[in-house]
Amino acid sequence: MLKTYTFHVSGTHCAACKILIEDVLKEQGFVKRVEVNLKKETVEIETDSGQGAEELAEILTAKIKPHGYTLALEKKEQENKNHDVLWQAIPIGLLFLALFFLLQKSGILNLGLGDQTTPTTGIIIGLIASVSSCLAIVGGLVLSLSAKISEDNVSDTKIFTLFHAGRLASFAILGGALGAIGNVIGINFTFTAILGLLAAAVMILLGLNLVGVFAKNKFTIHSGIFNFFRRIEHKTLTPLILGFATFFLPCGFTQSMQVAAISSGSFTSGLLIMSAFALGTLPMLAFLSFGSASFAHGKHAPLFFKSAGVVVLGLGIFALLAGLAGLGIINPLFSI
Amino acid sequence: MSKAVAIIIIIALVAVVGIIFMGGGASAQKVEIKDGVQYITIDAKGGYFPKTTNAQAGIPTKIIMKTNGTYDCSASLVIRAVGFQKILPQTGETEIDLGIPQAGVPLQGVCGMGMYSFVVNFS
Repeated sequence: MLKTYTFHVSGTHCAACKILIEDVLKEQGFVKRVEVNLKKETVEIETDSGQGAEELAEILTAKIKPHGYTLALEKKEQENKNHDVLWQAIPIGLLFLALFFLLQKSGILNLGLGDQTTPTTGIIIGLIASVSSCLAIVGGLVLSLSAKISEDNVSDTKIFTLFHAGRLASFAILGGALGAIGNVIGINFTFTAILGLLAAAVMILLGLNLVGVFAKNKFTIHSGIFNFFRRIEHKTLTPLILGFATFFLPCGFTQSMQVAAISSGSFTSGLLIMSAFALGTLPMLAFLSFGSASFAHGKHAPLFFKSAGVVVLGLGIFALLAGLAGLGIINPLFSI
Repeated sequence: MSKAVAIIIIIALVAVVGIIFMGGGASAQKVEIKDGVQYITIDAKGGYFPKTTNAQAGIPTKIIMKTNGTYDCSASLVIRAVGFQKILPQTGETEIDLGIPQAGVPLQGVCGMGMYSFVVNFS
């Protein structure tokens, strides 16, 4: 005898989740018909198995749990828990933001470095840059992408390694190119500023997503960006290219080093300066991505994602306002 | 953590971030007139100092941007009003000709990423 059950599903963050859940559940012989409603976050199942609703929810959850979804009869419990986590996450995220901006303001980062840019100073400048306002864009982007990728539960380590490899390679190759042909590749302010705005937009979207603001109707904004992330997750090339692209992201330190590479006058010295700089930024950025991966698989994962979301959101808004001011569209609202 | 505690902490932290953004003491003005030309000196390192300069209108004016081991964003300077867009040398002085500024039209300089800025008021 066919019976219809409706379960509440949690963990659906994307349009394709519907297809995935339906595919997995259809594979079960006793499930005759599956219908996922993303808006209501429900799964309707028609089955001829004689089991009770509770048992069914348990069996089916076991099948889709590896993909990050759970079925339940009751919805409320989950929501309350989510809210509690959010109330913890906002202060934690804000605390990190406050500490970060305080560090900028303190002037500790404005170390006096010699006039000559050598690979050694390059590494030091890279280290400073990775905890400076450059972090607002490059680091924020790395954090948001990493948290997002880890949340989607894919083989994150490989992706991060490729991303950082791509970043190092681009700095070496493009640094060498700058040294060899110099000013031919002018670094265009407007171009980098627009890239910065794009990065800010991605950060804000991912930040909102991590915080869970889209919990009710999340997928509407998403399909385009979502496809983009699927591609990141499944191809080797995309994280490499993304790492490569960070060369052009607006960051005063990067720009200074690019100028130093230009004036160095040879392929080798340009390559050395830019690689040294990228190496200097690596520890912090690697910490951000691999750190979020380890948190993401730990006990405090929901709290981590939401706190990271708050941080990314703050940095994204900061980068957006700064980028608009840099383009002369709005007056600078602040000065750190 | 209860919601009320969380809200109090949130408000406190927002206030801290606000103070960080808005704060910044006034630094000494560096404006001098030599041979009929007004020179405004602005230090660029970890921001622009002084952030606000008051200068005279109606006389030929030049800005001198002073860098000293500057690697951060303040080295990439944009002054849209005079079409200036350049990455300043790590250490040195860069002269920017403003022509003869009019009274009441403030001049704004901003770094490439937009997080540092300075303004010169003419009167």
